Amino acid sequence: MLYDLARADLRIKWLVTCLLATLGVSYVFGALMVSRYAGFTPGRVAATYAGPEMSMPMPPESTMVMEHPMSMADFAKPEVHEVDTNLLIQDTHVHVPMYGVIAAALSLVVAGLSLSQGWALALITLLFAAPWLDFAGMWLTKFVSGRFAAVTLIGGWAMGVGYLAVTALAIHQMWPRRRGVDR
Amino acid sequence: MNLLLRGAAIAAVLHITPVVVLVKRPDAVQTLLPGADSYFARDVHLSDPDAHRLHELVDWSPEDGVLTFFGGKAGATVVGALTFVRVDTPHGPLEVAVGFTPQGAVRGVIVTKATVEMKPWVLEAVGAGLVERYRGLKPDDVPGGAAALDGHAGKLAVYVAGEVDKGVARGLAAYGTFYAVRNAGA
Repeated sequence: MLYDLARADLRIKWLVTCLLATLGVSYVFGALMVSRYAGFTPGRVAATYAGPEMSMPMPPESTMVMEHPMSMADFAKPEVHEVDTNLLIQDTHVHVPMYGVIAAALSLVVAGLSLSQGWALALITLLFAAPWLDFAGMWLTKFVSGRFAAVTLIGGWAMGVGYLAVTALAIHQMWPRRRGVDR
Repeated sequence: MNLLLRGAAIAAVLHITPVVVLVKRPDAVQTLLPGADSYFARDVHLSDPDAHRLHELVDWSPEDGVLTFFGGKAGATVVGALTFVRVDTPHGPLEVAVGFTPQGAVRGVIVTKATVEMKPWVLEAVGAGLVERYRGLKPDDVPGGAAALDGHAGKLAVYVAGEVDKGVARGLAAYGTFYAVRNAGA
């Protein structure tokens, strides 16, 4: 094989290692950001993306007004970070291209690993399918059912698993431990 | 590879930074409804025709088709109302609190949220006197904060003032069409 990371020039190995480390840092902070704004449970993800639309999906026939008392403590309650349709369109527009670029970069690493064709294809599929699942889950949660929040969580975890698998394999193959050193 | 790098650069430039709270909601409420000792929320669930009417007025529909106003009273006396309006910009969302006197004029405007990227632009615009430009506006008036700041603040502050103008225009239209009218009729 012409492109084999295990036998690649030291500079290429270093480049790939730096890329993986950089993506790793961004993934860690991505996870921190998700924990602050959407959470890691189906309930919190559903609250973020479904919002009140799930309880009142259709506009009323005539405008309705409802009043209820508020206390200052109600104003101080932590707000649920809600992503409405406009923001989800914007998020999808901004994030999906970036996820595609990351998946492509990791797939290029996969292509240089000593893996069977089946495993390589499976990993590449996972890398691209994960962000699709992530955003498909958000849209389905918003417009179909809050139960699809689980799809977003699966997509998010799949992104992490894909990254860790590629990183572990690449580091293992590019930087093997030296064995059988005579003393 | 070149395409890949260009794509990454574009995506990085377009990436929206997280939202930060500039003024907490309770603080905004106390500032815009001074002296109030009790509060209420009024949710206006818009019908399709009313939502369309609002959209025609200010090219905007509220989140989930619901306008929420918060009123304040001191004893039995109404001290005013306010609404929080979100403005989606290419740099992420802004939130603007627009407060009204019982007579229906703007008492004050506070930018309560912005993204990390926009925060310095908002602070510059507010420091240049942006929110003072809105005081006293009535529902039929057109906010001109950006025009007033042009030449007196940086380009990005003027840009963000234009976005705050949109928020104030939405607040004025929503209040004038769905809050003040109902109060006048009640």
